[in-house]
Amino acid sequence: MKVHTAELSSCVESIETYFHGIRAELETMQGLLVELFDRGPVDSAVARARIEPHVRRFLDTTDIVGAGYVAARGALSDEPLYLAWWQGDDQQLLAESDAPGTGDPLDYTRHPWFRTPERTGQPYVTGPYVDFVCTDEYVMTSTAPVISHGKMVGVVGADTLVETLESLMLPALRSAGATLVNDQGRTVISADPHLATGNLFDLSAYAEVAPCRDLPLSVVAR
Amino acid sequence: MATVRRPATRARSAIFAPLGDEGRAVRVENRLAEAIRSGVLADGERLPSEPELAAMLGVATVTAREALVALRAQGLVTTTRGRGGGSFVTQPAPSGPAELSSRLASMSRVELRDRGTIYGVILAGCAELAAERADATDIEGLRDLLIDRDETDVGLWRHADSELYLSVAALTQSARMTREVVRLEADFGALLRLPLTDPDFRVAAASRHRALVDAIEAHASDAARRCVRMHVADSLERLADLHAAVP
Repeated sequence: MKVHTAELSSCVESIETYFHGIRAELETMQGLLVELFDRGPVDSAVARARIEPHVRRFLDTTDIVGAGYVAARGALSDEPLYLAWWQGDDQQLLAESDAPGTGDPLDYTRHPWFRTPERTGQPYVTGPYVDFVCTDEYVMTSTAPVISHGKMVGVVGADTLVETLESLMLPALRSAGATLVNDQGRTVISADPHLATGNLFDLSAYAEVAPCRDLPLSVVAR
Repeated sequence: MATVRRPATRARSAIFAPLGDEGRAVRVENRLAEAIRSGVLADGERLPSEPELAAMLGVATVTAREALVALRAQGLVTTTRGRGGGSFVTQPAPSGPAELSSRLASMSRVELRDRGTIYGVILAGCAELAAERADATDIEGLRDLLIDRDETDVGLWRHADSELYLSVAALTQSARMTREVVRLEADFGALLRLPLTDPDFRVAAASRHRALVDAIEAHASDAARRCVRMHVADSLERLADLHAAVP
């Protein structure tokens, strides 16, 4: 294994600590829901009530901007699409997401934060991207599949504002002269003032690539 | 539309700026109706009281009352009595064809062009930036929104069309830009999609949207911009025909 500078390794460690912390919370929510779905049919009110106290505590004690459970199509007995999702300063419940103009429900199941855990059966971190289903903000979304009787009944997830991540990680990235990138080759946060968040990125220009453990993220430096 | 929305301060002060003299009740009604439809005034939001509203708009209380009565009749405002009562904004149900036609009829050609211009410029700019910034996963998401040209469900067309443009806006990586497009879609998107009832227009739209996604995938900014400009321009031409046909 390649040995990286202490600064670079310390960046990787901070990123891992942050996102693995979120993942631990998601695992608790997963556990609560799997137990519920394993017992039989679940409706939206029951699913919501099961995780609400945990999600509210999670939002109260961290810098997460939104979190909750998002149902797979048809997984709940009463609603085809449903988001037991709380967000914002007042922790408002989302429940459903409508398209502007038509008012039809938005089919969130095609979005990467839903589709990737569905395909892989594994947790994922999507972004940075503009989320127009939940927050209308520029976010990184951590999601994990909820699997009952071999079937994915939805995902649990949490949104981090990219701005929050920038304020947490930029000092360390600066001292390492490094850039955090995602698995799509997109810049998340960079020490380089000319490398804007959200821009696509030519990985071949970077000599050092340090992947973050179990995360679709890497810290790179020239 | 789900959101943690910021108050749109400037738009709001424009709504409550003083009005001139003629047709005052109708103008109060139109201005508030437009603000409610476009979401500047949010669903469930409490409106100022009749005297407050009258003072803010510089009209007589009776005029403000008349406008509120008309808004209630349109279903855009609900009034409750007693403690905690007042007039509250009610977002209209998704607009049906009849409501859209009457909205179109109430617009001047100047207003139609005015709205079409800002919509077209912003969406074309979004397409240009999306072409620079979209990755492979994004393209996959966009392709899911392309509709088979033989599809006859107009509702499906409208929905996919709106979501395609919203997704292109999100690919700019700018949350403010995306929120602006959400607002434009709520405000003007439904009107702009009236021509989708015409099968020939749908076939043309399908091929332009396919070309748009191809251009974004190829990182061809100019081509992406052109696709959107052509589509919006064509939509506006058709809308002008519909406008001319309304009695």
